[in-house]
Amino acid sequence: MKKENKILKFGVPNQPLKEFTEELFRRASYDFIIDERSSAVHVDDPEIECFFSKEREIASLIKQEILDAGLVSKAILEETKNTKLREICNLGTLKIIAKESEVVLAVPKNSRIKSIKDINGKKIITRVPEVTREFLRKNKISAIIEFSEGTNEAKVPTFADAVVEFAYTGETLKRNNLEIIAVLMKNSVILAANETMFKDKWKKEKIENLAILLKGARLAQEMAGLTLHASNDMLEEVFKVLPSLKKPTITHLRGENWFDVLTVANKKEIRKIIPKLKKIGCTDIVEFPLNKVII
Amino acid sequence: MNILKLGIPKGSLQEYTLKIFKNAGFDINIPERRYCLEIDDPEIECVLLRPQEIPKYVGKGKLDLGISGEDWISETKAKVIEVCDLQYAKQEINKVKWVLAIPKDSEIKSVKDLEGKVISTEVVNLVKDYLKKNKVKAKVEFSWGATEVKPPKFADAIVDIVETGTSLRAHNLRILDIIFKSSTKLIANKKSWQNKWKKEKIKDLALLLQGAVMGEETVNLMMHIPKKKLKRILKTLPRLKTPTIKKIAAQDWYDISVCCKEKGIRELIPKLKRMGCEGIIEFPTIKVVV
Repeated sequence: MKKENKILKFGVPNQPLKEFTEELFRRASYDFIIDERSSAVHVDDPEIECFFSKEREIASLIKQEILDAGLVSKAILEETKNTKLREICNLGTLKIIAKESEVVLAVPKNSRIKSIKDINGKKIITRVPEVTREFLRKNKISAIIEFSEGTNEAKVPTFADAVVEFAYTGETLKRNNLEIIAVLMKNSVILAANETMFKDKWKKEKIENLAILLKGARLAQEMAGLTLHASNDMLEEVFKVLPSLKKPTITHLRGENWFDVLTVANKKEIRKIIPKLKKIGCTDIVEFPLNKVII
Repeated sequence: MNILKLGIPKGSLQEYTLKIFKNAGFDINIPERRYCLEIDDPEIECVLLRPQEIPKYVGKGKLDLGISGEDWISETKAKVIEVCDLQYAKQEINKVKWVLAIPKDSEIKSVKDLEGKVISTEVVNLVKDYLKKNKVKAKVEFSWGATEVKPPKFADAIVDIVETGTSLRAHNLRILDIIFKSSTKLIANKKSWQNKWKKEKIKDLALLLQGAVMGEETVNLMMHIPKKKLKRILKTLPRLKTPTIKKIAAQDWYDISVCCKEKGIRELIPKLKRMGCEGIIEFPTIKVVV
């Protein structure tokens, strides 16, 4: 019995989170393979037992304490909202360096519904009825909410007046001649766990360690390391330009009035920072890739 | 101009070989349907060949240098110089294994029972050496492939490469013994090794290739450590080289940079964070030359 307890049962989500999960675990130094045909997950850690399924099922299994933890999107977590589910860490957007995905309320372009107030008494179809209900309650609106699994954009206006859906680029909505009138929430990937699991000291430490590695791997996808040389009189200006995520490491170059500066920064910021540093007069600017960043 | 003739193995070792050459700083391009490869070093001439044939050609001096498996070097009994090993340490479990297998219901229970039987294999010499060592006399027949299908009709036992074991099980065979475990080797011709220029070129190449193999399984770790915890944390750090310690200006903090094996990093990083390290970053290495 005791030995059995030293296993973390972990939910691995299928599409659209499958590739995201594989990449993240590999960067966290795990050998990690999902065999979609057999729904088997191979991980080179005997203390982790993986279960490959839909996010909705994973969230529900964590709630029932059948699984200890897993990866699910924020919207699905809200949908399964329960005091027993705890968010351990937010792993950011699904697509790396892309616009955040959102859960939106959309209506046909030629609809008489112009704002959320006009939804009163209308019919909304959605994959996330609980999230929708909560949104309506907060805005003091009552409408009919109907659960519908998938291709919901095409079902408006034939089957309903409005739709609540996930949107990345908004392209699918546009193609179906729909217009966004409200954003219900920003979506992201969450490492979630069952509340009671934390009573087990071993499991608590195991999941916290996993969170450090996954979060570190995720950050490293968006960041890069940067080193440069700057003279004493440039330093003050250099610090103004550098982001303050991590304390930069400054080393005196031998026998000179120059310093070596090392830091990490977001890749998007770096493309703005480098020309600025060059203008200040910095030399030997080197950018290098990262595997993990733990701040 | 001096030219070094190099043999690159085609097949299962190909992808791995090209990768370590790339990380060693050499770009190799395989033109379609051709076996003469393009390499971005005018002093090297590159040919793609079956790994079975590379030891033979290196032995004869048709090639100065080649990459092949230990199994084929032994099998061909080629007289070559083994320059260095190019196996990832983490591939230890994935080393090529040649096994002796027999039908599940066979009367053969041990090596001794092979006396007078027929063994089918692609590696005739390896099997003969194995039998000799075990003082058993049996008939060893060369097999062109699809060796697993041969017992019990065409042979009593086989010696074949095993990866997952699925193929053996599918043919109702079971493993009796592992006769050879093979890793990847860089081999050179004896005469080429006498040539001063060639020897130097080969040694430099070996240094870079081994550096690339090591770089693949090594990462760089950098972190900030408060002064009072420095001693304790330095003891925890595994290391390939002495860590670089820099004092952070005007603060009681140190910046530590260390090179360590990726294996074990999963346990190390959370531990360091719990011990009070801040700003931990890990980045890849391409070559590590110690």
